[in-house]
Amino acid sequence: MREGAFSKKASRFCMYAFLIFASFISVFPLYWAFISACNNTQQILGGRMIPSTHLIENLTNLFAQQDVWRAMKNSFATTLLQVVLSLAVSSIAGYGFEIYHDKYKDRVMSILMLAMMVPFVAVLVPLFQMFSKVGLLNTWVGFFLPSLSTPFLIMYFRNSARTFPKDTIEAARIDGLNEFQIFIKMFIPMMKPTYASAATITFMNAWNSYLWPKVIMQTPDATTMPMLVSNLMSGYVIDYGVVMAGVTLCSLPTVIIFFILQKSFTNGVAGAVK
Amino acid sequence: MKKLVSLLLALTIIVSCGAALAAEDGKITIWTWDPNFNIAAMKVAKEMYNAEHPDVEIVIEEVLSEDIETRVITAASAGDISNLPDIMLIQDNSAQKFVLSYPEVYADITGKYDFDGFAAGKLAYSIVDGKNYGVPFDAGTVVGTYRTDYLAEAGYTIEDLTDIDWDRFIEIGKDVKAKTGRPMLSGQAGAIDTVLIMMQSCGASMFNEDGSVNFANNDIIKSVLEYYKTMVQEGIFIEVNTWDEYCGTLSNASVVGTVNGCWILGTIMGVPDQAGKWALTNMPKMPGIESATNYSNNGGSSWVFTNGTDIDLALDFMQLYRNVDFYNAILPTTSAIGTWAGAKDGSNYAAGNEFYNGDAIFAKIVEYTAHVPANTTGAFYYDAREALGTALTNYINGGDLQSELVNAEDTVNFAMGF
Amino acid sequence: MTNATPAPKKKHRFWTMERKQSAAGWAFLTPATLMIFVFSFYPMVQAFLTSLKRGLPTALTYSDPLWRNYQRMLKDTVFTQSVANTMTYLIIQVPIMLVLAVIFATLLNNKDLKFRGLFRTCIFLPCATGLVAYSMIFRTLFTYDGMVNALLMNIGILSEPINWLNDPFYAKVVIIVGLVWRWTGYNMIFYLSGMQSIDYSIYEAARIDGANQFRQLVNITIPLLKPIILVTAIMSTNGTLQLFDESVNLTRGGPANMTITMSHYIYNTMFTKNPNFGYAAAMSFVILIMVAVLSAIQTKVGDKR
Repeated sequence: MREGAFSKKASRFCMYAFLIFASFISVFPLYWAFISACNNTQQILGGRMIPSTHLIENLTNLFAQQDVWRAMKNSFATTLLQVVLSLAVSSIAGYGFEIYHDKYKDRVMSILMLAMMVPFVAVLVPLFQMFSKVGLLNTWVGFFLPSLSTPFLIMYFRNSARTFPKDTIEAARIDGLNEFQIFIKMFIPMMKPTYASAATITFMNAWNSYLWPKVIMQTPDATTMPMLVSNLMSGYVIDYGVVMAGVTLCSLPTVIIFFILQKSFTNGVAGAVK
Repeated sequence: MKKLVSLLLALTIIVSCGAALAAEDGKITIWTWDPNFNIAAMKVAKEMYNAEHPDVEIVIEEVLSEDIETRVITAASAGDISNLPDIMLIQDNSAQKFVLSYPEVYADITGKYDFDGFAAGKLAYSIVDGKNYGVPFDAGTVVGTYRTDYLAEAGYTIEDLTDIDWDRFIEIGKDVKAKTGRPMLSGQAGAIDTVLIMMQSCGASMFNEDGSVNFANNDIIKSVLEYYKTMVQEGIFIEVNTWDEYCGTLSNASVVGTVNGCWILGTIMGVPDQAGKWALTNMPKMPGIESATNYSNNGGSSWVFTNGTDIDLALDFMQLYRNVDFYNAILPTTSAIGTWAGAKDGSNYAAGNEFYNGDAIFAKIVEYTAHVPANTTGAFYYDAREALGTALTNYINGGDLQSELVNAEDTVNFAMGF
Repeated sequence: MTNATPAPKKKHRFWTMERKQSAAGWAFLTPATLMIFVFSFYPMVQAFLTSLKRGLPTALTYSDPLWRNYQRMLKDTVFTQSVANTMTYLIIQVPIMLVLAVIFATLLNNKDLKFRGLFRTCIFLPCATGLVAYSMIFRTLFTYDGMVNALLMNIGILSEPINWLNDPFYAKVVIIVGLVWRWTGYNMIFYLSGMQSIDYSIYEAARIDGANQFRQLVNITIPLLKPIILVTAIMSTNGTLQLFDESVNLTRGGPANMTITMSHYIYNTMFTKNPNFGYAAAMSFVILIMVAVLSAIQTKVGDKR
C-alpha cells in the first residue's frame, strides 16, 4: 500500500513534469513572437530572448503603416460567418449521412471524401474562372462559398454521430418530433463537445485562410489579418519588430477562441440530454 | 436557401461565358508593394502628377509581388483581366516569363515612351522580341560595402578593395579572417545570388542568345562556381540558411561586408549605431575573363501596363519616371535609386551621405549602373536558377562540377520540353 | 431500422416511415453535397482535362499522346525525389503525432489534474501560432550555432554541431519535428471531445478489475475513439501528402531538393517557374490517387460498423 502511494506520487510528478515541458516547448515560438514585438530588428536578428522597450514604437509603426482595425474587422466578420454557416451545413449533412445511412448514402459519402484530396492549387484556376464568370469576384459570398462545405467536417460529424444513441431518436419520434426537430433539439445539444471542437478548428482554418482570399478579393478594403502580416514582409528592408507585433496580434484571436471554447469540449455534457 | 444559392450559382456558370477586358475610365490604378520603397515613391509621383492634373484619380494599392503574379496568372488563365490595374510593378527577373506566358495581359509600349537615358542592362529585362513592355524603376546595381573598422584592424582600406579581382579579394579575405576572425561575406546557401552577380559582371547568362540553356559548356559559370567554392571553403564566405539570418550577419556585424544589389543599403543603414563605420565601392571582377567588369546587377523591378486600359494616360503619368525632380524627391525618404541616368543631376544624389562618412554614394551607384553588362533572363530563368542552385549545393558537398552542370542542364531542358 | 411504431397513416403507401426518413436524410445531406460537387468536383474535372494538355497557360492544347504529362513524371527526378520525401514524412510523422495526441488527450482528460485548461491551451497553441513566427524561430533554433546544437552538446549527446538545415537527413528531421510540434495539439482536440462520450463508469469498472492506466488506454479509450482516430488519421495522411508550409518556410525544399514536398513542387511548377499548368495538374492527380488509395486502406482497416 505504501509503495503504491509512493509510485502514484512519482507518476504524478512525472506527468506534471512532462506536461510542463510539453507546454513550454509549445508556447515558446508564440512567446518569442511576443518578446520580439518588444524588440527592434537588430535585437531580434541578434537572437535576443528578453523583451526590450520597443513595443509601443512597433505598434505605432504597425498602425501607421497598415489599417489594422479594418483587417481585424474583416477577419472577424468573415471568420465568424464562415464558422456558423459551415457548421450548420456540414453538421446536418454528417448527421444525415450517419443516422439515415444506407448503401447509397455511404457511397455518396465516399465520393465526397475524394474532394478532400485534391491539392487546392490544382483547382485554383478553374474555381477562379467559375467565380469570375458569375460575377462573384470581390464579393464576400465569393470569399467563403468554396470553403463552407468541407468533406472533413462532414466526415467528422458523421463519425461523431455514431455515438448518438438510436433509442433517443426513437423516443423523440414517439414524442412526435419530426426529423429536423430531432436534429435541432436532440442532436445539437448532445453533441456540444463536437460542435465546440469543430468550431475551434474551423475558426482557425478560416482565420488563417490566405491563398483564395488573395485571389478572389482584389481590393485593399478586403485585407484580412494574414494578408496584413504578409504585407509587412514585402520590402527590401523588413522591420522584424513590426512583423512580430503583427504576428502576435494575428495569433491572439485563435488563442482566445480556443480558451473560451475548450471548456465546452472537455467538461463533459452527460446529462445535457434527459 | 443554401441549396438554392448553389443551384443558382451552378446554373449561372453554365449559362454565362465570355471574357472581359480592363476598363478605360480616366483613373489610374496601380499595384505595387513595399510601403517604404515602391509605394512611397509612387505616392510622391501621384502628388507631383496631381499638382498638374488634379482631375486624374490615381489609386495606389498595396499588393505583394507574389500576389500580383498569382492574380495575373489566375485572371489571364480565366480569360478575364478586367480586374487587373492599369499599372503593375514586376520583378525584373520575372518580366520575360510573364510577358511570354501571358502575352494578352501586357501592353506593348514600344515607341510610346522615350527610353533614352535608361541603362541598357536594365532595359533588357523588359524587352521581349525587341518590343518594350516596361518602364524601369529601381536599380539593383551591385555594390561592395564593407566595415572600415574591421578592414583597418587588418591593415586595409576601402581603396584596397576598389577595382580589384576575386584573386586579390580572396587574398585580402584570408588575411582579414586571420587577423579579425571575421568572414568577408555571407549569403544564403542554395540561393545563388552571389554566383549570378559574378556571372552577370562578365556579361554571362544562364542562357544562350537563342534561349537554350548554357551550363555544361559555359566556362564562365565553371570559373565562377570554383571561386565561390574556394571562398566558402576558406571561410571567407559563410553560407547561412535564410534571408533573415543573412540580414542578421550584417546588422550584427558578424561579417566584414557584403556584395549585393544597392537596395541592401536600406538594411545596412537601418542600424543607426553603425553610422560612419561603412564604406562603399564596386565589386571585385572575375580574373582571367576578357569580358569581366567590376559591375553587376541583382534584383530591381519595372512598371508594366495592362492591355485594354488607358495606356496613353498611364504613360503620361509615367513621364515622371524620367524626371530629375521626382528621383531627387524620393531619394531621401526611400533610398530608391532609379536607373534613369538623368537622376544623378539631382542635388540629393550629389550630396554626401552621413551614414557613409559624407561619401556621395548615390551618385556613385548611378555611375556604376551605366557600366552594368546586360544578361539574358528568358522565360525559364527560375527553372535554371533552381537547377544551378542544386548543382552548386552538390558541388560544394563534393560533387563533380562537370557532371553536376550536365545534370542541371538536363533538368532545365526537361522543363523546356513541356 | 424502423419497426418500433407502425405509422398510423397507412393510406399513403409510397411514403412509408422508412422512405420518409430516408428522404429526410437526403434532404439533410444535399446542400453540403451540392456545394462540394460545384466547388470541388467541377473544378477537379477541369483540372483533369488540363492535365491532358500542354502549352502556354492561356493557349493549352491536348497533348499527344494524351497521357504525356503523366509519362513525363516518371522521368522527372525532382518529382520522384519529392514523392520519396513526402512518403518519408508520412510514414514517420503521422504515427508519432497521433500517438502523442492520444497520450496528451488522456492526460488532459483527467478530472483531478490541476491547471488543465492552461495545459490544454498551451499544447494547442502551436497551430494557432503564425507561420512567420513559427518558421523564423525554428530556423533560428536549428542554425549551426543555434540553441538546439548548444543544448545537445551540453548534455553530451553531440560532440560536434550539426548543420541541421543544410544536411539532407537532418533537414528532414527538422521538418518532422516541426510538423509534430505544430499539429499534435490540433489532433488532441478531436480526441478530447471524443472522450466526452465515453462513460466514466467504464473506467471505474476497469480499475476495480485491476487494469492499469495503460491497459485502460489500450482496451477502453482507443477502441471507443476509433471513429475519431480514423478521421484524424485520414486527415493527417491527407495533410502530409499535401504538405507545403514546412517545405517552403523551413528548408525551401533544400538542400538540393532533398526536402521538397510534392505540393511545393507543384506550386513551383505553376507559380515560380515557367508556368506549366498541364504538368502541375497531372502531378496533382497523382497525389489525389495516392491519398485516395491510402484513405481507402485506412477506412477498410478502421471502419467496421
